[in-house]
Amino acid sequence: MALALPCAAAQAAPAVMVIDRVQRLASNERAPPDAERAWLPASLPDGGAANRDRPQPESVWYRMVFNGPPADAPPASWAVYLPFFYDGGSFWLNGLQVASVPESSATVQVRWERPHLVNLPAALLRSGENALAIRAAALPAGNVRRMPRVSIGPLDALQPTYDRRMFWARTLPQITTAVCLLMAGFVLFIWWRRRSEMLYGLFGITAALWGIRTLTFVIEQMPVAQWHLWRMAYLGATGGFVVLMAIFALRFAGIRRPWIERGLLLYALVGPLWLGLQGRAAEPFINRFWSAGLIPVGLSVLGVSLYNLLRQRTWAAALLPAALVFPVVAGVHDYLLAWDVVPLMAALPHWTEQRIFLLHHGANLLLLVMGGLLTVRFVRALSALEQLNFTLEARVADRERHLAANFSRMATLQQQHAAAQERQLIMREIHDGLGSRLFTSLSRVERGDMDEAQIAEALRDCIGDMRLALDALTPGEEDFRVVLGNFLFRWQEQLEDAGVRSAWTIDWPEGAPPLAPQRLLQLLRIMQEAFTNVLKHAQATQLHMALRPWAGGVEVEVQDDGRSAVAPQRHGGRGLANMRARATQLGGELIFERSDRGTRVLARVPVVAPSSTGLALQTIA
Amino acid sequence: MTRVLIVEDEPEFMRRFSSAVLNDPAFSLVAAVSTGLAANAMLDLQRPDVLLVDLGLPDVSGVEVIRYAASRHPKCEVLVVTMFGDDAHVVAAIEAGATGYLLKDASEERIAASIHELCAGGSPINPGIARRVLARFRLAPKPPPPSEPGLAGERSPLTARETELLRLTAKGFTFDTIGQVMEISPHTVVAHVKKIYRKLAVHSRSEAVYEASQMGLL
Repeated sequence: MALALPCAAAQAAPAVMVIDRVQRLASNERAPPDAERAWLPASLPDGGAANRDRPQPESVWYRMVFNGPPADAPPASWAVYLPFFYDGGSFWLNGLQVASVPESSATVQVRWERPHLVNLPAALLRSGENALAIRAAALPAGNVRRMPRVSIGPLDALQPTYDRRMFWARTLPQITTAVCLLMAGFVLFIWWRRRSEMLYGLFGITAALWGIRTLTFVIEQMPVAQWHLWRMAYLGATGGFVVLMAIFALRFAGIRRPWIERGLLLYALVGPLWLGLQGRAAEPFINRFWSAGLIPVGLSVLGVSLYNLLRQRTWAAALLPAALVFPVVAGVHDYLLAWDVVPLMAALPHWTEQRIFLLHHGANLLLLVMGGLLTVRFVRALSALEQLNFTLEARVADRERHLAANFSRMATLQQQHAAAQERQLIMREIHDGLGSRLFTSLSRVERGDMDEAQIAEALRDCIGDMRLALDALTPGEEDFRVVLGNFLFRWQEQLEDAGVRSAWTIDWPEGAPPLAPQRLLQLLRIMQEAFTNVLKHAQATQLHMALRPWAGGVEVEVQDDGRSAVAPQRHGGRGLANMRARATQLGGELIFERSDRGTRVLARVPVVAPSSTGLALQTIA
Repeated sequence: MTRVLIVEDEPEFMRRFSSAVLNDPAFSLVAAVSTGLAANAMLDLQRPDVLLVDLGLPDVSGVEVIRYAASRHPKCEVLVVTMFGDDAHVVAAIEAGATGYLLKDASEERIAASIHELCAGGSPINPGIARRVLARFRLAPKPPPPSEPGLAGERSPLTARETELLRLTAKGFTFDTIGQVMEISPHTVVAHVKKIYRKLAVHSRSEAVYEASQMGLL
């Protein structure tokens, strides 16, 4: 790309004349000195190493003669092209000024990196010999005069060369500065949010420094007061860039040597501090020696990244050294070019006279690669996270399936258990209640111990027992008040037939915990026993039953107005014992009171069973 | 004189029911048969005022006999006999057209008293039955077809008072208490119950008609 530049001017159009033979006169005059003055023959390019040590207080005039377009040629615009004209000056054709480029003054410092293309007015251009005089401005202290070869020819032939150099020397640096600063802002924001990602921080600062350093191609004029500060910033940015590159490469290779890093940073600060302390006069020395010190740093960066490549053998590791080769070589080249080191000048005279600096193009490449590497890291981290999420999701789903399977297994077990419990309950019902009653009755009948009335009573008891069980164990009957209501409805009829007036008071709040069926059944048995006793033994005329909540349970009170004179008979005694046993079994209590006003039975039963078995039955219900 | 027909296949209970009817001077026993088909024939032949029918018969279900009586002889009061008075059987009988129920082990006095109550216009109901009757009306999901203007637009054919009565009964209140709450006599309460039973029978029939028409049978 850049190689195309130097040849283009010479070969693009044969009509272009490249002037290297001139006359030279050091003079501060503002107009071209007369031909009679002490002009000395000289050749272009002029300056560089040859007059580095010579002070150049004055401006210098260059005078050259060239043949204008032939008279019979079609009219065309002609121009003068200079690839660089660092300090400015003015152009004179045949004794009249045709253009000027601002020069440094007491207030403004200039440094032109751009090429210059000066139009030669057709009116002044002769078809024969023309005299072109160029005044190169006086130099600020420490600067070295450089005058390139001058190209003269048709504007059309010179324009592409000018445009190309303009792009590389000025437009691209402008873009670079903008992009670097934007990218730095972006990457530093990431680093600010994630401090642990040190590589992002390094990359961001490196990019920012490079953006600042590239301003040297962008800033062409600056007030003198700020020039000094700007040069310090420039040196700091250059040194900082190289040093941070080194730290980046070290860290990227996984090498953490704090003292090396500190030493490098310290070195980067030496240049700008030196300039700050010693002033402008020190700049040539700093440029020469301190900048030279950056070359081994750059070379060691290359070494470290090659070492990393050997260790890791990945494409990512190969990318950094590959991208480093060009900037390192470019940096050395630029240094040699800046200091007109003879071997380089001698080997490539045509190249070096163009004074094309390469480091900033190399650095762009390097920053791109660094950004690419970080992007790869970022993408890889995202993928890893995604993968992690995926496996985590898979594990969670797996776990969920497992849990669901366990749950359904448990539900099945619980159902089986519940069914088994229920069957057990019904078996016990038959066995303890109806069965034992029938067996007892049978054996008494066989012994001839029961008369007909007693047999009828026993059978009636059995039927009553079955009704009770059917009532209480009806599936799907959640409200125990319905069961209780059925029970009382039946009893009301019986009591009335026996001439006992009955009344119920049921005081059960809505939403109170319900009584499980088998607990309700036991409670109904207690009540049945109590009612039976009233019917058989009390000779009562009135009966009142009340049901109400009692400390986490149910309280049932059965009160009659029977005569207390009748002592509890055998059956009644056993009935009482039965009632008490049932109440105790449910974790409750039974209170039996007898007075001359009647008998009072008080049964208190908790809603929830005291044991865990009871709890399980409760949940089934 | 109330003419009673007894349908019961167990001789022991047939004797008991017959005895209860014969011993009451207000009743006369027109027949006591042991099969459903015989019962149907007797219904047509004798046109009794009261039918006392057991559910478990050897040939056809007692429910069939009830349905037959309700459709052919709507003036005949039907008293269904159940073993345990369990709600499901009773409600099925009521839907078929029965307006009273009797426990199988009831005493003769109780049997006679039940027939008297029924003829006087009252019916018994316990909380479980009340609950089921409420559910039957409330759960009827299909709106009646527009061709039946009597039921159109109504969700339940029960009046507010009847619904209230059922709700109170389902909660376990006695007829006395319900009468007090609703400010009516206990006699009126049982009369309401009988009306509800009739409505349930009509309701279930209209539902059957509707379903049959839906299935294209009618």
